Amino acid sequence: MSRDTVYQYEPMHHHEPEYRPAHRASRRRMLQDACCGFGGLALNTMLASDDVRAEGRASLSPLPAHSQARAKSVIFLFMAGGPSHLETFDPKPLLNRLHGQKRPAEFGEARYQFVETDARLLGSQRRFRKHGQSGTEVSDLFPHTAKCIDDIAVIRSMYGDMVVHSAAQYELFSGRLNPGFPSIGSWVLYGLGSESSSLPAYVVMPDPLGALEAGQPMYMHGFLPATYQPTMFRPGTQPVLNLNLPAGVSISQRQKTLGLIQDLNRAAPDHVQDEFAARISSYDLAFRMQMQAPEALDLSQETRETQELYGATEKPTEDYGRRCLLARRLVERGVRFICVVSGGGPGNMQWDAHQDIEENHLRKAAETDKPVAGLLTDLKRRGLLDDTLVVWGGEFGRSPEAQAGRGRDHHNLGFTMWLAGGGIRGGQVVGATDDIGLRAIEQPCHFRDLHTTILHQLGLDQHQLTYPHLGRNERLTFVEGRVIRELL
Amino acid sequence: MAAVVKLKFSLRTHRTRGGQKQAAFPFYNPDRWIFVNPAAAWFPLLITMTQLIAVTTVTAGSINSQETPAEIQTAAAVDHFQNRVEPVLRANCYQCHSAEAASVQGGLRLDSRPGIHRGGDSGPIVVEGKPEQSLLLQVLRHENGLAMPPDSDRLPPQIIADFERWIKDGAEDPRSVEPDRRPSAEARQHWAFQPVVRPVPPAISNSTGLLNPIDAFITDRLQKQGWSPAPSISRSDWIRRVTFDLTGLPPTPAEIRTFLNDGSATAFETVADRLLENPHYGERQAQHWLDVIRYAETEGYEYDGHLPDAWRFRDYVISSFATDKSFKQFITEQIAGDELDPDNHDLQIASVFHRLGPVRRNAGNPDIALSRNEVLTERTDIIGSAFLALSIGCARCHDHKLEPILQKDYYRFQAYLAATEENTIRLASPEETAKWNTETSQLRAKQTSLRNAAKVATGEEKRLLEKRAEDLETQFPPTLPSIPGIRNDHENRTAIHVLKRGVWENKGDAVGPRPPEILTKDEAPELPADIANPRTRLAEWLVSEQNPLTARVIVNRVWQQHFGHGIVRTSNDFGTRGERPDHPELLDWLTSEFVLGDWKLKPLHRLIVLSSTYRQSHTSPWAADAQTSDPQNRLLWHMPRRRLTAEELRDSMLFVSGRLEVKLGGPSVMPPVDESLVRLLYKPSQWQVSPDTRDHDRRSIYLIAKRNLRLPFLEIFDAPALLTSCDRRDASTHAPQALELLNGTLSNDLARSFADRCRRECGNDQDALIRSAFLHAIGRQPHPKEYEFSVQFLDDQPLEEFALALFNLNEFVYVP
Repeated sequence: MSRDTVYQYEPMHHHEPEYRPAHRASRRRMLQDACCGFGGLALNTMLASDDVRAEGRASLSPLPAHSQARAKSVIFLFMAGGPSHLETFDPKPLLNRLHGQKRPAEFGEARYQFVETDARLLGSQRRFRKHGQSGTEVSDLFPHTAKCIDDIAVIRSMYGDMVVHSAAQYELFSGRLNPGFPSIGSWVLYGLGSESSSLPAYVVMPDPLGALEAGQPMYMHGFLPATYQPTMFRPGTQPVLNLNLPAGVSISQRQKTLGLIQDLNRAAPDHVQDEFAARISSYDLAFRMQMQAPEALDLSQETRETQELYGATEKPTEDYGRRCLLARRLVERGVRFICVVSGGGPGNMQWDAHQDIEENHLRKAAETDKPVAGLLTDLKRRGLLDDTLVVWGGEFGRSPEAQAGRGRDHHNLGFTMWLAGGGIRGGQVVGATDDIGLRAIEQPCHFRDLHTTILHQLGLDQHQLTYPHLGRNERLTFVEGRVIRELL
Repeated sequence: MAAVVKLKFSLRTHRTRGGQKQAAFPFYNPDRWIFVNPAAAWFPLLITMTQLIAVTTVTAGSINSQETPAEIQTAAAVDHFQNRVEPVLRANCYQCHSAEAASVQGGLRLDSRPGIHRGGDSGPIVVEGKPEQSLLLQVLRHENGLAMPPDSDRLPPQIIADFERWIKDGAEDPRSVEPDRRPSAEARQHWAFQPVVRPVPPAISNSTGLLNPIDAFITDRLQKQGWSPAPSISRSDWIRRVTFDLTGLPPTPAEIRTFLNDGSATAFETVADRLLENPHYGERQAQHWLDVIRYAETEGYEYDGHLPDAWRFRDYVISSFATDKSFKQFITEQIAGDELDPDNHDLQIASVFHRLGPVRRNAGNPDIALSRNEVLTERTDIIGSAFLALSIGCARCHDHKLEPILQKDYYRFQAYLAATEENTIRLASPEETAKWNTETSQLRAKQTSLRNAAKVATGEEKRLLEKRAEDLETQFPPTLPSIPGIRNDHENRTAIHVLKRGVWENKGDAVGPRPPEILTKDEAPELPADIANPRTRLAEWLVSEQNPLTARVIVNRVWQQHFGHGIVRTSNDFGTRGERPDHPELLDWLTSEFVLGDWKLKPLHRLIVLSSTYRQSHTSPWAADAQTSDPQNRLLWHMPRRRLTAEELRDSMLFVSGRLEVKLGGPSVMPPVDESLVRLLYKPSQWQVSPDTRDHDRRSIYLIAKRNLRLPFLEIFDAPALLTSCDRRDASTHAPQALELLNGTLSNDLARSFADRCRRECGNDQDALIRSAFLHAIGRQPHPKEYEFSVQFLDDQPLEEFALALFNLNEFVYVP
């Protein structure tokens, strides 16, 4: 037994790798840059040696994982605002029995953002039923997802550190309570590069309904080079900024301009030097992306049956369904990390059900249940689910206490998320909250454990994936996380 | 007698080292002193009493014939501890669990009674009188999967039995005072903490071509390697290089011509002096500083509220650089401007410095202590990074291995800011204010009634009402002029404690202001927590001669501006984990020049840009060898290439196309941005495009620095996130940059203007047109081959596309 076991919180320092400043302008990196973009070129084998990772890595060319990877891509179905665990995957008969009473003292204390200490417990009106061979309980909010339950591993014992949206969203994405740190999508890109030659490698599809509390910084690359920034998809038919030509300019004309740029650049005597060679390659790649990406983004190439599977042809599932379907098309083409956001704008347009949990969750579930199930089904039948890790959840759950009579407040001490595909053993429930759903009491899983597990499935090690910033080798898991082995 | 002496000595020792004021000794009751509840503060003194008895017992056998059996028993227990337990702790445990440990493991200290009783992260380790319940014993016995010492066999049974007896007898322990952890001897020797000593520039045998002492330092190292400096670049390249470096803009064709025709011996000096007096110099230098202090005009997080008139601080920084204010004064004003003269608005604006970090505002149940802790953390850490280049924030949670800054140092540093509170200073007249209040409250009332109506409405009507309420946002009168300043509020001063793991609830010792121990002589005392003008004291120390860091740090930043890397490459980290200087003597020589010259930056820039080192070309005759033995160019055997920063790139396109609006200062501009980005703002109404379109063409430093909406153009070319200190810009190269410059709105719009300008200046004369366009864009005439490509292209393609192509050239995007 080492001392790590005795003093559980200490281990991060034992594992902290030696401080190794990035060699930001190495020749090798410049060469790598040449084949990057928001889609890297195919792997240049000369660069695939071990020391690639040691050299600052500002590239998107694919890199070897630290260990055997189970997943190649991640789709994060981000239920923004905080979906209730009590109405979805964590039935609590006792809570229903205690409806209208104060929380019994034996359950301990909780801090809420709005609910006061004299609040009363709120029973759930949802019906739960066992589904699939596994018999995992799912509420009647999710009839479609319930059919996929044998592919899903439900974690009922998630917890985080903050009970306000912005800080909790930062923690969910970056492991930190404050903005400015790279999101998990950027870290994954930094660790693995891209396998797509014509598409962005890290994509965020925000809800057109509007913004979230943590804003754009939540998805961003923080202090990592701009190579690792997400591409924010816009609503409509031209989701990627600058991929389309300016009005009035034809492709053949622009091709000639590009030709002039490359001719002039190559005419300069020092064009073979690293920085310049890299820029010249980036123009070749940009043009290729411009030609190829529109096809990838075109949903009309899907059959009617597939579109209907996602609910992409009818309200209220149309919007989320289209974005889930697009996510599948991206995964097929090697895109590494995709975040599909449900919820945006004012709280009640998110899963942030302060006023009326029934009204809010019935509506949000109706918008997303079929698309989510459609995505899982479609990934599976195409053989993509094996190496695509799908993660579902929000920045926290909701309070067992009532707010404003029928609503629920934010709640970070115990809530539910789920994972599917990418080497996750479906059809199981991990962890548990107490009998009123207040606190994770069995196998509690922190966001850092979720992050560690996602990295692990991608073949990345939380201790090796570091970047020097302000005198520290920063990493995604500030405090060491654990791989949630029960899921595997 | 001996006992009395010992007692006095111990008490005095305790009081000075612990820093606590104990007016009397209320616990001291000779009749019942033995074991009172070991509650916190008294507790060390109690032990002193125990110690006293131990001494009396050992030295005199029984001086005090009144000793009770209980007292004798205690004395024996202490004796047992000192002879049988402490030596074992010292030999086996102190390495990881004492003040001497390189890094205290598990938060557990075993070198004092308070440490043992407090326990570590796993809680208390000793339950007095109950060995079986004591974690310490379980660990020694290797029970329950616990084992200490780590990775070794169990200690001999006799020793474990000694521990058992010790706990059983009450865990007596006379070591009353927990020794302070001290920076290690190794850390004290660290180069950055040594005084700046002015070295004599090395003598160079063949000094042809050397222009000033900088060159002597650089050439000396190169010659030792068997190399010499790279050849000089052409004059036209030099003027482009120096103009970008000092002003962030390219030289005009006229400026290039004048310089090329200046045959005087002082031609280079003339250009350097002209540029240093150019108002754009202040703007360019300010951007570097704003990066370092992560300047933004909004608070980030959910609300991303706009700090009223934060731009006044940006203008203060620009003007400080433009007028070459002593950097000493510049630091002092930012840290303590409000204390220096509360009635001086310029000084109040300087200390807006403390308001510029991200701030999390909280709706609902207040979390005042937590929020205050976040604010203090943010304000403390930035001072460490910006002025000292020390990541003192690393010490917030616990002491780190080899780190020179201890946790206690961190909180002492924070204590300078304990009384600092927000203080918005209104600059408007009472009449203006009254008018503003009336207009605002009327609109607010209207908005509220619309929102109330929306609450009960449904469907389309609800949506319309909500939209009308939201639309009103744009009609509010502009905020009145003010300064988002700070002041000291001593009545509400936050009591600063050492916080275990940095968590505000885990309060340890209370501390007062004091500089980090590693940078103070001996044991400088803490200042009283309620000292007047604490930040003035901090500023005085920051710029004092005892502090070797501050001046070195800014000199290094200036060097980095010109050579891509600092002499210390980790320019925000001069600590033990940062890099060592590549040219330590040069750094100290430059620093001493800077300090002797009253901390003025312009002479420093002048010295650098007029050196022959700065004139070096990118290529060197030694490249083949040097690429292998010094691939990172640490010896500066050639000039590294520098890509324009995002702001320089945008400003250059505006400048070259003749569109740059050169107005200086004033409120920040919001240019048009893609609507989908505005919708990602929690309050889209926060983005109000500036009505005067000419303002959209102002230099990038005047565009609003909004944390939750950064301009895609700037972001894609590595502009910093505005959330943490940025000590050096990345220069990534990737395809979205190419797409931005090829297809983006800005580049296409400006290419049209550039084409118009060329037509205006050259009419239909294609030859003149090509030559002029090249000269504007990249500062030189086209080579024959380039000329040929251009002619061919313009044969059947529009001039706008030609202009766009020039914006995309490597030479446009890189400094020569």
